[in-house]
Amino acid sequence: QFVPTDPPPPRRPVAYAEQHESDEEKQFRRVFQQLAGDDMEVSPTELMNILNRIISKHGDLKTDGFSIESCRSMVAVMDSDSTGKLGFHEFKHLWNNVKKWQAMYKSYDSDGSGVISAEELPNAFRAAGFPLNDQLFQMLIRRYSDENGNMDFDNYIGCLVRLDAMCRAFKTLDKDNNGTIKVNIKEWLQLTMYS
Amino acid sequence: MSGIAAKLQHNREKSRGIGSNSQAVKYLNQDFESLRDSCLERGRLFKDDCFEALTSSLGFNELGPNSHKVRGIEWMRPTELSSNPKFIVENASRTDICQGALGDCWLLAAIASLTLNKQVLSRVVPHDQSFDENYAGIFHFEFWQYGEWVDVVVDDLLPTRDGKLLFVHSEEGSEFWSALLEKAYAKLNGCYEALSGGSTIEGFEDFTGGIAERHDLSKADPHLFKIIKKALDRGSLLGCSIDITSASDSEAVTHRKLVKGHAYSLTGAEQVEYRGDRVQLIRIRNPWGQVEWNGAWSDNSSEWRYVSDDDRARLTNRSEDGEFWMSFSDFLHQYSRLEICNLTPDALSDEYKKWAETEFEDTWRRGASAGGCRNYPNSFWMNPQFVIKLEDVDDDTDDGEEGCTFIVGLMQKNKRRRRKMGEDMETIGFAIYELPDEYSGKRQVHLKKNFFMYNSSAARSETFINLRELCNRFCLPPGEYLIVPSTFEPNKNGDFYMRVFSEKQADFQEIDDPVDCHIEQIDIDEDDISDRFKRLFGQLAGHDVEISAFELQKILNRVVVKRDDIKTNGFSLATCRNMVNLLDKDGSGKLGVVEFKILWTKIEKFLDLYRERDTDNSGCMSASEMRMAVEAAGFSLNNPLHQIIVARYSEPNLTIDFDSFVSCLIRLESLFNTFKTLDKDDSGEIELGFMQWLSLAMV
Repeated sequence: QFVPTDPPPPRRPVAYAEQHESDEEKQFRRVFQQLAGDDMEVSPTELMNILNRIISKHGDLKTDGFSIESCRSMVAVMDSDSTGKLGFHEFKHLWNNVKKWQAMYKSYDSDGSGVISAEELPNAFRAAGFPLNDQLFQMLIRRYSDENGNMDFDNYIGCLVRLDAMCRAFKTLDKDNNGTIKVNIKEWLQLTMYS
Repeated sequence: MSGIAAKLQHNREKSRGIGSNSQAVKYLNQDFESLRDSCLERGRLFKDDCFEALTSSLGFNELGPNSHKVRGIEWMRPTELSSNPKFIVENASRTDICQGALGDCWLLAAIASLTLNKQVLSRVVPHDQSFDENYAGIFHFEFWQYGEWVDVVVDDLLPTRDGKLLFVHSEEGSEFWSALLEKAYAKLNGCYEALSGGSTIEGFEDFTGGIAERHDLSKADPHLFKIIKKALDRGSLLGCSIDITSASDSEAVTHRKLVKGHAYSLTGAEQVEYRGDRVQLIRIRNPWGQVEWNGAWSDNSSEWRYVSDDDRARLTNRSEDGEFWMSFSDFLHQYSRLEICNLTPDALSDEYKKWAETEFEDTWRRGASAGGCRNYPNSFWMNPQFVIKLEDVDDDTDDGEEGCTFIVGLMQKNKRRRRKMGEDMETIGFAIYELPDEYSGKRQVHLKKNFFMYNSSAARSETFINLRELCNRFCLPPGEYLIVPSTFEPNKNGDFYMRVFSEKQADFQEIDDPVDCHIEQIDIDEDDISDRFKRLFGQLAGHDVEISAFELQKILNRVVVKRDDIKTNGFSLATCRNMVNLLDKDGSGKLGVVEFKILWTKIEKFLDLYRERDTDNSGCMSASEMRMAVEAAGFSLNNPLHQIIVARYSEPNLTIDFDSFVSCLIRLESLFNTFKTLDKDDSGEIELGFMQWLSLAMV
């Protein structure tokens, strides 16, 4: 059974957020302000620079760097107002997930190759909270792994960000919890084009 | 919640009536009853962790944590401030509201007017709460926010200094509904300071969901007294003020004891017999609860001696309560503006005459629907468009001219709440065009640039202005009219809410292109393919005689890199995978020679289209070029989708380069195909299970 991660909280008054932050979060907000600039929003290019700066500090993660395409996709699945940018809360949610998934990446790379192989992937994803069926795992490997079935770090993150968002999208629309959603063509295209 | 799904779900809930006054949305998901019950159960008083008794809830600058103005402030509950606190004594009255240290007189004037209409007041201030029965330190209020009723919960810890309320308080000091209402409204807006310096109109609208009009009294409508009287009879809320010419003028008191730059409520309009003449009188209230006009018809003026005993007994109130009468002519002379808030039909009981009302929410987005005003003909047409059909003329016309009266209100959303981020209001306005017969009755169309080149507007907002809401009254002959709301400059992101109040029922709709796809299928079989192409394919495909996404990426990038007439960063692997998925009929994940030939033909078409639509030869698509190109490629999309294309595929400068262009068109075609395949009975709707959804959405 799929257990969705907590969605980002609803946007609260800034006063609330500032008052409830731990020192670590305050630090994070300061960093965010520097990264996001005056508009307090993160564009795909900014996201790419941030993520690539992090991975440069972790030599053991195999990756060819986050591409602009994958950052656009990550922003798209999290952005709710079609501005093409992420606000503070969405970015923090993304950030916390990246940290969590980065730790899993290392522990599920059992052969220490620096990548998640096709064999390692199902366990890693189950641990991340996505118990999918084999068919879906195969599909994800075809879509996000290289020719040898290996998923490097940037693809792994890109895939999980999208998976997490799509699971939450389903739960959001399945308001009555009956296990299916109905969408018309306009909704379908909005949901899937913006990903 | 995040993502487009949240927005879609919001739309769905709205269409089911959630957010109407009877089904208010719970602000921050806080439910009054369950919170109160759990406090009662645990024997504790409620402490709101979403709006805490801390200086940050007060403000950010003048009332900010480091300001001397917040020193010595203590948060206290009414039960600590008064031996016998009351929520509402008898009925709410205008004297329950006296201004404190906050510059929110506009809000107080609005609250004061609110007390004049019991029905409206009871919607904002639910009466099921008190300090006696089931008291748990928690209260709730309902506000109208951009088309939605929101139920806001607060605890009753109020900011005080020296044992006295810092902000709104009642005259007697023991009645607390107004102070709690102010707190709830501050919570909704982020903090108390966010309430400083607004217009009464905002308060009026947030308490009623009504639509507010401004009248400039120096150019008063000749029928204004009648309009005021009618408005009071209709339960409308009225406020008035005197303009200031410089900042030092703010709250300056004239020798006639009128306060400049201050919001008053207008609470009555009467005619009396005075020395044989009919005199028109206006009753006004100062929200301070004191400082009253001392001219003609003021509380102790001699004029009252010359009216009938009846009128004197009925109208005079000689206490220093902030309320006073003045003649209508003095009113026009002394005051600068009048604001009237017209109420929605659901706010009024049946005895009133009502407006017909329709509303829409929509967005302006850079590069897609933020087209700017008519000064920008290249993008103006991209703004959201609405049509109103006026059929019946007004019943009684004041000046004998036949027409249909309607009020258009255009409101920008959530700007006050975001003011802490330094964000200011956009400058907004709208234009109205008469729709030519050829467009009559058509709703599935978005009018393009040419329409606006050859048609001039029939009416427009008085100005473009940086207020939360712009509202104008029109009287036009029956017909169909196009209304185009916009920011003044193009490419300003904004969310807006548009309403039309019409004297008679009128059909008001958003118009937009239908969402559809008519791509020509490319039919090729192996015999059509030249030997040269086959040989080329053989070289590219290698020994497995198929082309994978990885190979495709290399091939495409080798081709495009040579061209200097198109801009591109090179094709991403994701795009190439999408291409393979679209064409891969046998599910091998790779392309055979026929599939590859079809893809190649497509790409050549895209290239032609791209160059043809790049009218300024910049090597990339501008936002408006892209919009036309997508249409030329066989897709008809609505505004939300055009916005998404820009948000997803454009560069920071809003242009779209060749690889993004191809990627977008390929993805559109795939998604239309998928939908059509799944919508077997052509019902226009598909039903998906969880795993099926993931397998489609993760591709």
